[in-house]
Amino acid sequence: MVEERQKNSRRGFLKLSALGIGAVAVAPSLMASGHGKSGSVFSEYPNTKIGSLSALKKSGELDFSYPSASSLCKAVFVDGEAKAFSTICTHKGCPTAYNKSAGVFECPCHFTKYDAKKDGQMIIGHATGGLPKVLLEIKGDDIYAVGMDGLIFGRINNNIG
Amino acid sequence: MAITLNDRLPIPHKDAEVKNITCEFCIVGCGYKAYKWPQGREGALKNNALGVDLGEQQPTYGEWCSERMYNTVTDRDGKKYNLMVIPDQDCVVNIGQNSVRGGMMGVSTFNATSATRDRLKEPMIYRGGMLMETSWEEAATLVAKVYKRVIDNDGADEISHKTFDHGGGGGGFENTWATGKLFHTAIGTNSASIHNRPAYNSEVHSSREMGIGELNSSYYDTSISDVMMVVGCNPYECQTNLFNIHMQPNLEGATIENKKKEYESGESAQKGKIIFVDPRRTASVVIAEKIAGKDNVLHLKLKPGTDITLMNALVTYIFEKGWEAKDFIKNHTENFAEMYKVNKISLKDAAKITDLKESDIVKAAEWIAKPKKSGHRPRNAIYYEKGIIWGIKNYECVASVVNLGMLTHSVGRVGTGICRAGGHQEGYTRPHYNGPSRQNLAVIDTDIIEGKYLVYSIWATNPFGQSIATERLRNAVTKRSQIVKDAINGYHGNDLDELAEIIYRATKIGGLFVVDADIYPNQATQRSHIVFPAATTMEMNLTSMSGERRLRLSEKVMDAPGSSKPDCLIAADIANALKAEYLKAGNKEMAKRFEGFEWKSEEDAFNDGFAGQGASMASQGGGTGKLANYSNLRKAGNNGVQLPIIKRDGDKLIGTRLHYSDGKFGTKSGRATFLPTPQPAMPAQVAKQQKRFKYWVNTGRINEVWQSNYHTGRLEFTAKRWPMAPLEIHPKDAKDIGVISGDIVQLSNDYGSTRAIAVVTDCVREGEVFGGFGFQNSIINDLCTDYVDPDTKIPFYKGTVADIVRVGRSEPLIKDMTFVERA
Repeated sequence: MVEERQKNSRRGFLKLSALGIGAVAVAPSLMASGHGKSGSVFSEYPNTKIGSLSALKKSGELDFSYPSASSLCKAVFVDGEAKAFSTICTHKGCPTAYNKSAGVFECPCHFTKYDAKKDGQMIIGHATGGLPKVLLEIKGDDIYAVGMDGLIFGRINNNIG
Repeated sequence: MAITLNDRLPIPHKDAEVKNITCEFCIVGCGYKAYKWPQGREGALKNNALGVDLGEQQPTYGEWCSERMYNTVTDRDGKKYNLMVIPDQDCVVNIGQNSVRGGMMGVSTFNATSATRDRLKEPMIYRGGMLMETSWEEAATLVAKVYKRVIDNDGADEISHKTFDHGGGGGGFENTWATGKLFHTAIGTNSASIHNRPAYNSEVHSSREMGIGELNSSYYDTSISDVMMVVGCNPYECQTNLFNIHMQPNLEGATIENKKKEYESGESAQKGKIIFVDPRRTASVVIAEKIAGKDNVLHLKLKPGTDITLMNALVTYIFEKGWEAKDFIKNHTENFAEMYKVNKISLKDAAKITDLKESDIVKAAEWIAKPKKSGHRPRNAIYYEKGIIWGIKNYECVASVVNLGMLTHSVGRVGTGICRAGGHQEGYTRPHYNGPSRQNLAVIDTDIIEGKYLVYSIWATNPFGQSIATERLRNAVTKRSQIVKDAINGYHGNDLDELAEIIYRATKIGGLFVVDADIYPNQATQRSHIVFPAATTMEMNLTSMSGERRLRLSEKVMDAPGSSKPDCLIAADIANALKAEYLKAGNKEMAKRFEGFEWKSEEDAFNDGFAGQGASMASQGGGTGKLANYSNLRKAGNNGVQLPIIKRDGDKLIGTRLHYSDGKFGTKSGRATFLPTPQPAMPAQVAKQQKRFKYWVNTGRINEVWQSNYHTGRLEFTAKRWPMAPLEIHPKDAKDIGVISGDIVQLSNDYGSTRAIAVVTDCVREGEVFGGFGFQNSIINDLCTDYVDPDTKIPFYKGTVADIVRVGRSEPLIKDMTFVERA
């Protein structure tokens, strides 16, 4: 989650860039290919470029998959921030639809709703938590997905499936 | 060290112990499976207890365990386990779906490093100015010694109690039997009241006296009804899987094939419609419109307190049109003419009183009574709940709905029902209550405020947030409890007879001896002198029945924290201690009253009560409990059996889907009785508040908060979602008051004051606010008057009046709270 004002500050920009470069530099050695073989206790998430910040600002939303192809996610631009979530409802796994004008993810199956502006907080419905968040880092105009906060529906481990 | 990973879980081992769990929360009683396996062991992706390839992304509706369905638990032998509690796909109630509440049963279990860490673990006694841990023996003996003095010198009725009577968490047939046997029979007090109200009464006296038990249908019948009518009830939030699994498919037209199978030959079968009667545009209304389209949803957004007039107008219009169920009324009912003489009201008058359009009343009447295309009578599943149970006058409110159901033969027929929707599950099994008639019942909490009784036993409830005039009740019990505390503080010895005498004397000068049994510390604990820690769902075997009378055995999975015990065994400890006191005093006659509590387990209490008493007990489960035992209930699994049990076929229990299909009702004549239900005037206490204050205050449950918020107020997800009670305020009123969403407001009237977080929304009517119920840090019931229906002693929790001012705003408090329109 990167705030617009932070990106616009030179110090913030440099700091984020450094993080981004560092992540790219170390990524090959730490990238978890499944689990257990990397020597890592806590198998790390892939560092994946998902699109451009300027395009996201313009369109307001950006679809991608993370951490693997079968996990649908969406980046959104709300309240001057880029945020991203797994779009699969954590009630029963239906794909949610994003209501851009409201900044709300809506499940068509049992009408659970999540507020993108409040980190995916459940507005109403039957999930036992908010939407899992995708952690983002921004390098220049590039947005990278670097991790997740919350368990994706249908997985026992976010990095498996 | 506490590590919280929220993006991965251990794989349940294929040898995990699997148990059936019935959700401990709402009345629907969804089935869940608990998987328990030792820490340090893990299954494999392709070989695990769930029987699915966990190396793959599971599909929509696939098996899944969310972070909050999981916990680590420690049994009393110190062994640690993984625990998953996930919805059961084979349960016909919920077919693998969860509500937000049931989905958090895993994280709600006791874990010493989690939000549930402050569970009560050991008995406590007030000594040295504080509550401190003690032995079960000392706690039960001291209670017995004080109770004996009160019974012998002042009479058992001086021991007042407020005790759960429900199923689900903390309740069940085991625990209601035990506490009922302790108080009704052994102690023999009539000074009783039930967990959510100030007297010992039914919420549906009138329905029962009309001959119609309040749980007479099944969820399957709701799914195949033509019209669902939901009065004072918000099923999407409060009976979630009744709505999602049974009402929603009906509205979608997904049950038409079942209708064709079950209806008469040639009878029209179309997708269902739904009528809501509620002053508020609830989530259920909005979501039903999304499912079925506005043409199939009718929201009668009436003026609060006028439901009776609406029901009477529907009865009148239907009768005038000749759409009433003539044969049924003639052959199976009585008292129609007497009812109609009183209830008849013109559309014009009714529209004026209810604030509804005449055309909407007509539309509702047409939906529920005008013959279908095929000429057949519509099949109506009518549900009502707290919106009218806690209404202007309980007896008539409920009766007016039942009148409408009888007029349209909406009972005992496939696809019909006149049922309460219910709050919690049911588990009432008790010896008969020997108290006075419903009109003469003691209103315990008002009596306590007025200085009556020497003892107040509080069992698995928190009356200080959930009775009438709760601020007054808290203040009164604080003062009276302190008199006893001061007396205890002056005694430094440890002779229990001396201590009991000191306590007893303090109660004779205005003090109140307070005994609490619960699972968490709360406002009752703070005022108590003895505290017993209880076990809850998953920590004991527990039988309860749901809103369609479905009885299940929810199995024990883990040990309760510390030395806490099932409530039935706590009741047994108190009874056995009293027996010992009477034997020591040489009073064999009194000692005999306390016999029959020699139970070693909750199964003993079940076998003594529901399965042992047959028709000699008072029970919602009927008199055929003798056919049930833990063994055949375990085999019946999460689908259980719908009570009453008809017969046992081998070890299979055969139950009852629909009541009254034979047309015989629960009256002396066997005919269902219509009752006159005139619109009552506003109760004097409430009318006085109307004159003095500005905003009508309605209250109710919200989805993510269960009862007194005991689990949900602690769990991170729900506590962040609702840090205080929300108060829904109409935009015009918000402008007048000068508040925006997120501001802290104070409400006050003659009875008390409380605070809440403003949520500005036009789902409430102008001039009316709606406050979330159950919060312990913003208690909406502080504003309730002390009015109760004189005929049933049931309060008007949904009707009070207050002034509202803006207090201020705290951004950190509402940081994680969304204010997007919920419905």
